[in-house]
Amino acid sequence: MAGRAARVLAVDEAEVKLLVTGRDRAVDALFDGRRIWSFWVRRDTTGRLVRRVSWPEVMRPHLRGTSTVTLREHVSDRVLWEGDLTFGDAADRGRRIEFVNKMGLEISLDKANRFSPTFSVRTQADLDPLLDAMDAVLDTLNGEGVAAFPAYGTLLGAVREGQFLGHDSDADLGYVSRFSDPVDVVRESFRLQRAVAAAGMETYRYSGAAFRVRVEEGDGIPRGLDVFGGFLDTGRLYLMGEVGTDYEPGWIHPLGTCELAGRTFPAPARPEKLLEAMYGPSWRVPDPAYQFETSERTKTQLNQWFRGSAYHRREWEREWSVARSRPLPRKGSDLARLAARREDPATHLIDVGAGRGSDALWWARRGRRATAYDFAAVGLRRAARHAGSKQLPLEVRPLNLTEWRSVLSEGARVAREPGPRALVARHVVDATDEFGRQSLGRFASMTLRGGGRLYLEFWTGGGEPDPAHLLRPLTVERVRRLVTDHGGTIQSVRELDPGAGNDARSFAVGRLVAQWG
Amino acid sequence: MGLRSRLPGGRVHELTQRVERLEADLAEVRRHNLRLAELADLVQELLLPMADQDRERIDRAIEKFQDSI
Repeated sequence: MAGRAARVLAVDEAEVKLLVTGRDRAVDALFDGRRIWSFWVRRDTTGRLVRRVSWPEVMRPHLRGTSTVTLREHVSDRVLWEGDLTFGDAADRGRRIEFVNKMGLEISLDKANRFSPTFSVRTQADLDPLLDAMDAVLDTLNGEGVAAFPAYGTLLGAVREGQFLGHDSDADLGYVSRFSDPVDVVRESFRLQRAVAAAGMETYRYSGAAFRVRVEEGDGIPRGLDVFGGFLDTGRLYLMGEVGTDYEPGWIHPLGTCELAGRTFPAPARPEKLLEAMYGPSWRVPDPAYQFETSERTKTQLNQWFRGSAYHRREWEREWSVARSRPLPRKGSDLARLAARREDPATHLIDVGAGRGSDALWWARRGRRATAYDFAAVGLRRAARHAGSKQLPLEVRPLNLTEWRSVLSEGARVAREPGPRALVARHVVDATDEFGRQSLGRFASMTLRGGGRLYLEFWTGGGEPDPAHLLRPLTVERVRRLVTDHGGTIQSVRELDPGAGNDARSFAVGRLVAQWG
Repeated sequence: MGLRSRLPGGRVHELTQRVERLEADLAEVRRHNLRLAELADLVQELLLPMADQDRERIDRAIEKFQDSI
């Protein structure tokens, strides 16, 4: 049976059934001849003799209609199964299944099972802006004394195929710092982001050692160019976000070159050594469903040195991204109404952790000066657009409670503004971590030092909040202590049962009002 | 022969606790890297303009700083 990976027994609307012999290997699923998804016949399936794998949930919205489905071994191109399949009900029979995004561009799943226009469907003209951006970012980093090179999938594609990997959807750059202390590596990454932003590019920080540059391709497709920092220390290389391994400095510097999509880019002196550190010894074998097997030791080190400044941000971004087409609630929450009632009409009302911004918008509609803060910008876009079109007094600003630079700079900015203000934070202390809670206390203490109130509402443990997986219950006593530790004087504390008040709420909350100054 | 069979039960428990404490201490020390870098960056970028007391310069410095984080 050597060389035989799998026999496909059946393919239907729900799943693929296989008999697997021999070693594990990647299989591509093609719809009308185009690769949409890839899976490993053992790793990604369940069952003993007959192994099964369901179509990924993210594919479901697209699976209505008919298509010629092909299952093909990724490396050998051997076809394991092919046939016409209809998904959905009879009414869908006449249409072909299409995997296209809102802009009408063909999309497929990358290794993280996210849909995007993977490089396989891009032309050279589409890719030129990304290649130009790579050049521009490399130049900017060079200007800062940092010699970067294509990394991860981009280096793999360049070295193995001279091209972007067909199933990949973003581009990566990496560098090995001249510093060997994580604190200096982080400071350097901050400096590099500043230089890239000053060159007019839009950036987004993931962690203390990695940020993303937003690039638009030829036809407006947004593409991420990630810049990963690394360092060498006593014979080990650490590169954000997956590498921690014994390493020779001479395998990186002096840099050589590699070819990518017809252009020459810098490369580590021994690119194969870095590729092995990233993808293991089998990096030469193509694998569109690759999953990093980073050791626990490396994960722990990278987490503790560099991560922790974006607690649950990705989850909130996903939450608001899914909700973005839903209309905003017209009604303000009980807490928003309480603050509007209690505060003088001239008071600047500030919503910290505003989510989609419906409370701040509700204030602005009533002529109140309002600011909505959140660290997941996608949630606030609709409210900002609405306020902009109606010329409402709403300002939308980023604030990340798990990043000191954000809290302290914004705290300093607000503290210098004249006039009375009040802070409202609904489901913030129960959504962030301890660092974020202390930051909220600090932000309140900075911005309300001249006098002003803080209104808090949080889940206390009863019932089931929404979204339950992103909230952690807190006792009233713990929140009371947080506030007094930062100099607030408690004015009122209440615990409300599920159903109490006007909010349609099926869980218990604590409500606390505190005064500074 | 395993460590457990060579050490009395109380000693194994004590060593396990010590390893857990050391891991927690190490995590704490490692986490200071990011926070120290943040504070150093903040001081470097904002302290001088703030000390200058020039309102416009302070506003510009904060705005520029926030555009790049």
